[in-house]
Amino acid sequence: MLDRITYEVLRSALYATAREMKVAMMRTAASPIIHAGGDVSAAIFDAEMRLVAQGNDIPTMLGSAVISTRESVLAVGRDNLRPGDVIISNDVYLGGGNHQPDIQLTRPVFLDGEIIAFVMTRGHWTDIGGKSPGSFTPDTWDIFGEGVRIPPVFIYRNDEPVADIMSMIVHNTRNPDACTLDILAQYAGTFCGDRRLQQLARKYGAAALGETMAEALLYSERRMRAQIEAIPDGVYTGSDYIEPVGDAELIPIKVKITVEGDSICFDYTGTAPQVRGGVNCPLSVTCNSTWFAVKAITDLSIPINQGCYEPVKIIAPEGSLVNCVYPASVVSGNTETSPRIIDLLLRTLSSALPDRVIAQSNCAACCGIFSGDDPDLDRRKAMRRTYVSTIDVHAGGMGARPDKDGVSAIRVLVGNAGAQPVELIEHNSPLTIEEWTLVPDTGGAGRWRGGCAARRTYRVGFEQATCTVIAERGRVAPKGLFSGLAGATFNSSIERRNGETKTLRAKSEQEIIARGDRVRIQPAGGGGYGDPLERPAQDVWSDVLDGYVSAESAERDYGVIVSAGRLDPGATEALRHQLRAHRGG
Amino acid sequence: MKRIGIDVGGTFTDVVLIDDGPGRIWFTKVATTPQDPARGALEGIRKIVSQAGADYAEIARIGHGTTIATNLIVEGKGARTALLTTKGFRDILEIRRVSRHDRADLYDLFFRNPAPLVPRRLRLEVDERIAFDGEVLQPLDPAQFQDLGAVLKEAGVEAVAICLLHAHVNPAHEQAVAAFLQKALPDVFVTSSSDVNPEMYEYERTSTTVINGMIGPKCKRYIATFEQEVGRLGIDGEVLFMQSNGGLAGAPLVMDRPVTLLESGPAGGVTAAVKLCRRIGVENAITGDMGGTTFDVSMIHAGRPQLRTSTVLQTVTVRTPTIDIESIGAGGGSIARIDEAGGVRIGPDSAGAVPGPVCYGRGGTDPTITDCNLILGYIDPDGFMDGELELDIAAARRAVDVHLARPLGVSIEEAARIVRSIGSSLMAQAIRLLTVERGFDPRDFAYIPFGGGGPVHAIEIADELDIDHVIVPNLPGLLSAFGMLIADQTYDLQQPVLANLDELTPARLQALMADLKRKADDALAAGGEGWSGAVARYSADCRYAGQAETLSVDIDPAADVTMDTIASGFAVEHQRHWNFTRKTAPVTLVNLRLQVTLPTVLNIPAQASGAGDEVKPFRHRAVVIGGERQEIACYRREALGAGTTIAGPGIIEERSSSLVFTKDWTASLDGEGNIHVKRNP
Repeated sequence: MLDRITYEVLRSALYATAREMKVAMMRTAASPIIHAGGDVSAAIFDAEMRLVAQGNDIPTMLGSAVISTRESVLAVGRDNLRPGDVIISNDVYLGGGNHQPDIQLTRPVFLDGEIIAFVMTRGHWTDIGGKSPGSFTPDTWDIFGEGVRIPPVFIYRNDEPVADIMSMIVHNTRNPDACTLDILAQYAGTFCGDRRLQQLARKYGAAALGETMAEALLYSERRMRAQIEAIPDGVYTGSDYIEPVGDAELIPIKVKITVEGDSICFDYTGTAPQVRGGVNCPLSVTCNSTWFAVKAITDLSIPINQGCYEPVKIIAPEGSLVNCVYPASVVSGNTETSPRIIDLLLRTLSSALPDRVIAQSNCAACCGIFSGDDPDLDRRKAMRRTYVSTIDVHAGGMGARPDKDGVSAIRVLVGNAGAQPVELIEHNSPLTIEEWTLVPDTGGAGRWRGGCAARRTYRVGFEQATCTVIAERGRVAPKGLFSGLAGATFNSSIERRNGETKTLRAKSEQEIIARGDRVRIQPAGGGGYGDPLERPAQDVWSDVLDGYVSAESAERDYGVIVSAGRLDPGATEALRHQLRAHRGG
Repeated sequence: MKRIGIDVGGTFTDVVLIDDGPGRIWFTKVATTPQDPARGALEGIRKIVSQAGADYAEIARIGHGTTIATNLIVEGKGARTALLTTKGFRDILEIRRVSRHDRADLYDLFFRNPAPLVPRRLRLEVDERIAFDGEVLQPLDPAQFQDLGAVLKEAGVEAVAICLLHAHVNPAHEQAVAAFLQKALPDVFVTSSSDVNPEMYEYERTSTTVINGMIGPKCKRYIATFEQEVGRLGIDGEVLFMQSNGGLAGAPLVMDRPVTLLESGPAGGVTAAVKLCRRIGVENAITGDMGGTTFDVSMIHAGRPQLRTSTVLQTVTVRTPTIDIESIGAGGGSIARIDEAGGVRIGPDSAGAVPGPVCYGRGGTDPTITDCNLILGYIDPDGFMDGELELDIAAARRAVDVHLARPLGVSIEEAARIVRSIGSSLMAQAIRLLTVERGFDPRDFAYIPFGGGGPVHAIEIADELDIDHVIVPNLPGLLSAFGMLIADQTYDLQQPVLANLDELTPARLQALMADLKRKADDALAAGGEGWSGAVARYSADCRYAGQAETLSVDIDPAADVTMDTIASGFAVEHQRHWNFTRKTAPVTLVNLRLQVTLPTVLNIPAQASGAGDEVKPFRHRAVVIGGERQEIACYRREALGAGTTIAGPGIIEERSSSLVFTKDWTASLDGEGNIHVKRNP
């Protein structure tokens, strides 16, 4: 039996190790989205490939790693692993991945000839080949359009790179140099984790480490069950629509949540079949979305590991949008459909847990990708490339909370990759950013206001380039809760140099842009929570002064009157009274 | 020569006076006066001068570590500040980098997002645009200046921060706007990003400049008042302020850039440890400062403190050279509790100084690390703070019994032992993260504990990390104040380069270094100093093209500097940090830095008394070591002479701290009186 001190020491050391691994990666990676945006994750698994510790990293990468790590190890064969081996994989169908641009490196940790643990690092690469630059277009026929498929294979053996595989992979991307550096960085992360776990096992014994991992899983499971026990038993149903590529019909998604004692079941039966275009979710993504929702509505202090998910059952029909099968394409399932699923789950549970859920959010990484030849000859020489591809996320609004406004211009739910500095984008690519500004009235009105979205406008300096924007909520607005109003929808466009304007769909096709064109990208805002007439007039007035809310919206949505540049309390009270009476009638 | 060091803490202000002629040292403590911070500090000066029987006119230097800058931000009492940005970018400060801030749990739907430092209505836009290469795309419109001035005046702001895009490459527009505003609004503190932090990445440059603006007016006033009052006492020696980089600087250099004072307090102890290492010939050391609410860790490598170029304060990035200190919520007052599933948790909440641990008898009810150390015998109930505070061990036992021992079903001692061990392990982990993240192995370092609680956990931490050498400095509780007095004067300057090494020539590099040196000339002149005795240290922040994070490489100006030496220096650093290099990738030189140091020369009075041939314990005391209660020999530190050696187990007690070392360790005193505890071979 493990003593309490050793257990606590080892348990916290596991989380610290995951953090060390991430730092090792972040500080070396080449892709701007990894180093500046932090779109990387690290986790530790026990010898049975169960996730036992993770950093405070991108949730979307970690939930799915529960599945992909097992698949990676089983694919190469556990018995074929030796110290210093590292497996690479990205494929959703062969390796249990979440989407193709997220590359996982998995490494066994050996002590005296026995596997005592596994570590994994995951990074989002800015290009993995496929139909279009940036490997992030939803407009594909099948998975092959989304980039190189890497089944689980060895990328290192005995801490030596497998040069043939590495060369094969990086030359199937549009930026082999950066990808090579990304592999090295992710490898450095696994190396760091391996070394540290070996030290711990030597010091405290492999058995103590193993027992700690097993107990940590049981501990989180016990606490999670106690939390679920406290949710009122019952069956809760909900439905929503996911946005397709192009102007096809909206895709219905359904869920039935059954809470019974200390377990909870999510049944997605009734959801539409998988569709053409990269909006489908492999099972790993649906599991991750579901697990995220459960973790978010329960006590946050429960240490996160696979034990948290034991009380959660998921039923997702094979071949549907939420459990797609080969060869469906998936790229935006991970970044857009996944948070939409979470929004649906939170809304469905709002009657049972009104104080633990929030109004709906922007729900998109909202990537904009610009790729083409760099016209700047000096920069070509300095960067040793002729071709440049810039990918960045954009800033939408978060849904309002039961006791707080939603945050403006923020990543929400499963994603947390940050945006790049304007100065870095301009330094690296022929783009000038003309504005990056919060847009008034994009946050839904409510007792608590939804977060506002930010608009970014690019002026194109490429002679010619491709442009892809991939988002959500162009047609389905983020709903408010408990009388809160919806947030604004996604609103983006290309303004050609000749003055013509083309409105972009949330899941846009690839566009060709040219010098002098302007591209405006504005994700959705967040929904409001509670009745806007209950929001203190002073707070609405303050929002008007700061330009988060226009005077028109203050009057129309909040019943707050501003006259001669001042708040008019008398007129406001009268208007609010009238609006309430009108509503009652 | 008589010098005074002042360290303003949360509750107490420590003051040290050294007269290095006869080699004497005096110290005292006064209450910190947060409402009027200068009052407490001046009271400390009066008290120590009278205690030492000195004359004000004899005081040659006052070194002052101040928390005023930090407190203004932490307490949200910064000046009403406006921000001027390039047109279209006033929301940079609010949008940040779009991701959730560093403290937010990503599964937390209810995370608190601090309001932007400047409300949107006070963020104004300037019609202008500069490109990434410095080219002016849209010139300034002087007609707009009048309007801006009028709006700012109307808004009644106390400070204006200006941060325009790419101003680190071409500062002309910022300078023009600043010059206008300084004239139009003479009472307003105007600060520009190209002055405060001329470095790429607009959010970080903006937040740094805004923080500088917010703390500017009050810091400036404080510095002026403090100097004036010190002068009024009759002291005409130099008055220097501790900066975050661990160096002192005179008022003219910090008044306009008080952002360099943000980590003034914590820097003192580390700086004193650096000086100690140099005196006793220790190259590599880790410092651990255990206070009431936090445990602060830092690292000294090759005799120098590790610096970082940016730090995060209240989720806001501040880019200024800062001694690299990591802090965790495991101080003496950190509360231990049992969570709903039976796990033992420590912190981050703390009983702080008020009410303090249960044993202080000031109303605390939750058991803390200090309470557990008391129960186990690691703290002497009678000798705490020289007996100024009587510790209530019975109350501590009751609290541990009710909140920990009973729920866990173990004895009070066992519960205390669990808390102490988990506490030590958290501290060891903080040290490991700091060293490993920077590519070092803690076993290659000595450990220097300080702060009142530092020595109390020192040996257990060293055991956890396989460290063989622990150095307990003289007056560990006062090390920070000591640092304020013995630190060197240092000035940091930087210059953006942003060019690949293969495009640079030695001549161009020499020219850039000469530019920096000219800026340093001005800084020295402003402080009334010259180059005599000054040491210049150049370094280059480099990265592989495409990376974001840089590593710093020293440049030896005396040697023949070639691009190859910088590249190979970078490769060595990269290999050490990350275990690989890229032979064919271009290396980008991002910033050139110059640190100018004016060394402080001071003879440290030895604290060891007499010869240490024979030592006898003055008593024995029970301590729980490894689950067993043992009677351990106690020694008084002030009775030990240089050269004294004591085989473990033993306890060395002193004012406000005590050191327990086990049978695997041997303690000995060096000529200065520092205790070296070494693991037996």
